Formats: sequence, structure tokens, C-alpha cells
Amino acid sequence: MLLEIAGLTKHFGGLTAVADISFGIDKGEIIGLFGPNGSGKTTLLNLIAGLIPASAGRIVWKGKNIAGWQAHEIAAAGLVKTFQNPQLFAELTAIEHLMIAGHLALKRRLGWRRIATLIDPEYRNNSRALLERAEEVLGLCRLASARGLSAAELSYGEEKMLGVAMGLMCEPDLLLLDEPASGLGTVEIDNLETVLRDLKAHGTTLCVIDHKVGFLRKLADRAISLHHGAKIAEGTPDQVLRDPNVIMAYLGRAHAAI
Amino acid sequence: MKQGIWIAVVATALCVLPLVFNSDVALTILVFSYLQGMLAVSFNLIFGFTGQLSMFHAAAFGIAAYATHLFMQHLGVAYWSATVLAAALVAAVSVVVGAICFRFRLREFYFAVVTLAFSEMARLTVLNWNSLTNGSLGINLQEKPPLWLPGTGIVKLESTLAWYYLSLVALGATLLVCGRMVHSWMGRCFAAIRMNDELGDTLGINVFRYKLTAFVVGNMMAAVAGSLYAYFLGSLEPGFLSIDQSLGIVAMVLLGGRSVVAAPVVGAFVLTTLPHLIHFSAEIRSIVYGAILIFTILVMPQGIYGGLWQIMRRRHAA
Repeated sequence: MLLEIAGLTKHFGGLTAVADISFGIDKGEIIGLFGPNGSGKTTLLNLIAGLIPASAGRIVWKGKNIAGWQAHEIAAAGLVKTFQNPQLFAELTAIEHLMIAGHLALKRRLGWRRIATLIDPEYRNNSRALLERAEEVLGLCRLASARGLSAAELSYGEEKMLGVAMGLMCEPDLLLLDEPASGLGTVEIDNLETVLRDLKAHGTTLCVIDHKVGFLRKLADRAISLHHGAKIAEGTPDQVLRDPNVIMAYLGRAHAAI
Repeated sequence: MKQGIWIAVVATALCVLPLVFNSDVALTILVFSYLQGMLAVSFNLIFGFTGQLSMFHAAAFGIAAYATHLFMQHLGVAYWSATVLAAALVAAVSVVVGAICFRFRLREFYFAVVTLAFSEMARLTVLNWNSLTNGSLGINLQEKPPLWLPGTGIVKLESTLAWYYLSLVALGATLLVCGRMVHSWMGRCFAAIRMNDELGDTLGINVFRYKLTAFVVGNMMAAVAGSLYAYFLGSLEPGFLSIDQSLGIVAMVLLGGRSVVAAPVVGAFVLTTLPHLIHFSAEIRSIVYGAILIFTILVMPQGIYGGLWQIMRRRHAA
């Protein structure tokens, strides 16, 4: 098991946003996280990525309990999260974003030798390799035409895609995607699906939150549904979406009875 | 490549300058400009590139100036060894101050205020520790640092000309170090921290480590500038660590520009030279000086360097 979560809980004052959730993610699968607004999906991903500290529970990543680690340590261990509202560097172009996101890849390749590259003219070669990779990722995410545009000039769809592209540059083992399809048009969603399938083919494990049930049903191998911070169903996407508890959570008691 | 040619042209011009234009007063002003330039460039590593408004720069400068003298007097070491020790001391102090500020995630004005408090702590210590620092009277520094020169061997640095070249080399070294850091993967980490440190964090950048790196390295360069400045001036006083000094450095960076490594040198040059060019009575001089500062910042928000570059590019395009 790549990631194993046991009894994960988060309280915000008197509110329990995530209540005693346990599940596991295997290498190479795509997990879909369903749930109505406020059901604790984003909080769950933020807990896993170390952006907020958990109140209780264990997050075991590749055999190590990472609960309490800092976000950059978790990212360096291969667990990377993208944001629901695109987070970008305002003054920089798309390609510059990807060069920054290449930090972990460079760090893995060079280790402490990267300090020496500050005075070593050979550094340019390392930098070129990183740039080539960044260009490749831009192409993969259909962002080649946005290469030189600054963050302010990108469309919403491009901003979201750039978030995914930055995640890719980190070379993660597990990529946590927080509503990557929200606010996107049909063409952009197809595009996103192609990119995510391509990622899976290259061995990246994905955990995706989305409201677009159709999109996630096609994409996910396995689904988990949350309601009021608790896990209410787990199984294949079809099983989960047919589950009476899930239907009740989304649509109310009347529909669940049918 | 083109940039390399420009650097070579400017460097050669500055090296030849004293041979053509040999006025002691002018050279003295240039030495002060270069040393202030070192301060401004190193401050900009922390402020302009990493986005942390440090008010500790004057403290790093002043602590090193005093420490160099005290190490020479009490440990009996030579000037250059004392300078290295002073820079090491400043590095140690910066690690403590930086670690406290960055561990508690102080940002923007909170960071500025807390570093200012540390800076005032250092200034008041210098001011009140009479037995060591001679308090508000300051200290006269009689000796001049020695330097080995090819051909003549070891000489005492007494002529302004020798100081001119020494300060030019020191400024060049500061620019080189900052340039290498900024135009590298480390500079990309600095940029990420400046613009969105939470995003940098999720991309695996150790925000604490790189903020601290910029702070410590910047302060160490200020320390070397402080050592040189005190021994060129020939005296030490608590005003070295004052808020005025820190604000002066901020003004140099804003005036010169903060997006290019060398731009603050322009601001340092203007602010050091200007008071000598305005021949009015003291009261009027401050007003004129202030008006020029305000006017320039209003007209050229990217600083003189950035503003001129933009004008040149526009003309080139037309």
C-alpha cells in the first residue's frame, strides 16, 4: 500500500471537518473522492499534504508516518497537491513556473552538490535538462502556446492546467488534485482527462476530488464518498454512486428511497 | 553575451576612471558610494529578491565594524582575520535572529518590526557598553589595513586611490556572489518565496531554509562592507547601527531599482553624491534632497535603472 490513512480526524474548534477517516491507496490507481460541498474533501487533502496539522490519526506514506511533517518535506517524499483555486506566481511566465516547480527534481538529481553548481559553469547543463523537461510538460499539458505568458494573462483553464503541470514537474508518486475540472469547458475537461490518463500510464498514482460526477466516474478506478467529514461509501465509482447513503447525501431522502 | 560585454565595458571604465580623473574628493565620494552600494546590493538580496523587508541591515554593518576593531584590539589578530571573524559573528547573530523570525513565520511589517527591534537592541548595547565601545563618543581608528600588492609587496592602505580599487573589487565581489545566487536554482527558490511562499512550500521548497540563507548571506556581505567602511572613515560610532542607516539603504534600493542585481548601486551612487552636489544651506539642502527622492520614485517606480532601461528600449523600438 502506497498511502494508508487510519483514524484521521480534524477539528476546527467545535466543528469536526474530518471524522475518523481510514482508507488506503495502492500504487498506480486513480482514486476519486466524491462528496457534497463542505463534506471535508479539501480538508482531507490538505491534511495529507501537510498544509494543516491533523488533530488525530495516522498518515502512513511508503511505510512512514508522515503526520506532523511539514508540507515541503511531504512534497519531497513524493506526495504533491494542487490547489482548487489556482495558486500561481503573479509576475512569472508559465515556463518560469515550471522551472521553479522543477526544484525537487533538481534536488533529487544533485543532492548537496547543487550548492557547488552556484560556482560551477557546468551548471548550465543541468539547467538545460530541467528546461527541456519543463518544455515537455508544457507540451503534455497543452500549454505550449502559453509558454511566455505571465500568470495574469492566462485563461482560467490555463491557470488550472498550469497547476497540474507544476505538480508534474515535482515528479510525484502520488498527485492529489483538488477539483481540477471545476470551472473548465468541455474541451478543457477532455484535455485534462487525456493528461491524467497519460500520467497514470507513466506510473503516477492519482487522487482526484471533483464535483463533475461524469468526469470522475469515467476516470477513477475506485471511489470514496464523504459526508459531514465521514466516509460513507467506498468501492468502484458505479457502486459508490449507486449507494443509497451517497444518493441521500447528494440529493436528499426522497431520491434515496427510489 | 551582450550582458557580458556591458559588464566588461563598465568595469574597465571604472578601473581607468581614477587615472583620468584624479581628484581626491571625487575618489573619496566614489569609495563611499561603492561601500554603500555593497550594502544596498546585499540588502536587495533579502528585500528585492526574497521579499523580506529586513531592518537588520544597519545592525549587521555596525556590529561587524565594531567587532573588527574589538577583535584586533583584544585578540591581537590582523585586520583581515578580524574582518573574517566579524563576518562569522554577524553570520551567527543572523542565524539566531533569522531563525526566530522565520520559525514564527513573521511576514512583511511584522518581520520588519521585529528585525528593527533586534537592530535597536544591538544599537543600544553598543551605545551603553562604554568600557568596550566608548559609548556615544565612538572610537578613532588609527591603523589602516595592510594589503599585498603585486610588485610592491605588503603596503598599508593609506591613499584614497588604493581604497578606490579595494572598494571597487569588494563591490564587484558582492555583485558576483549575488548574481550567481539570483541567477540559479536558488534564485528561483527566492522568487517563489517572494511571490507565494505557500505554493513554494507545496512544491517542495524549504521556505525556512532559503529565507534564512538569503538573510545570512546578505548580512555577511553587509558585515564586510561595515569593516571596510569603518577603516576607510577612520572612526566608529553607534550611528552606524541607526534606523536612519537602515532606511537610507531602503531608499537606495527603491531609487536604484530592485529587480536587477546591480541596480541598487545606482541608487547608492546618487544618494551618496547628491548631498555633495547641492550647495545650499543645511535646511534647504534636506528639502531639495527629499524632493528629488520623492520625485524620482514617483516618476520611475522601477527605480532609475529600470526606468532608464525602459526608456532606452522604447527608443530602440521606435
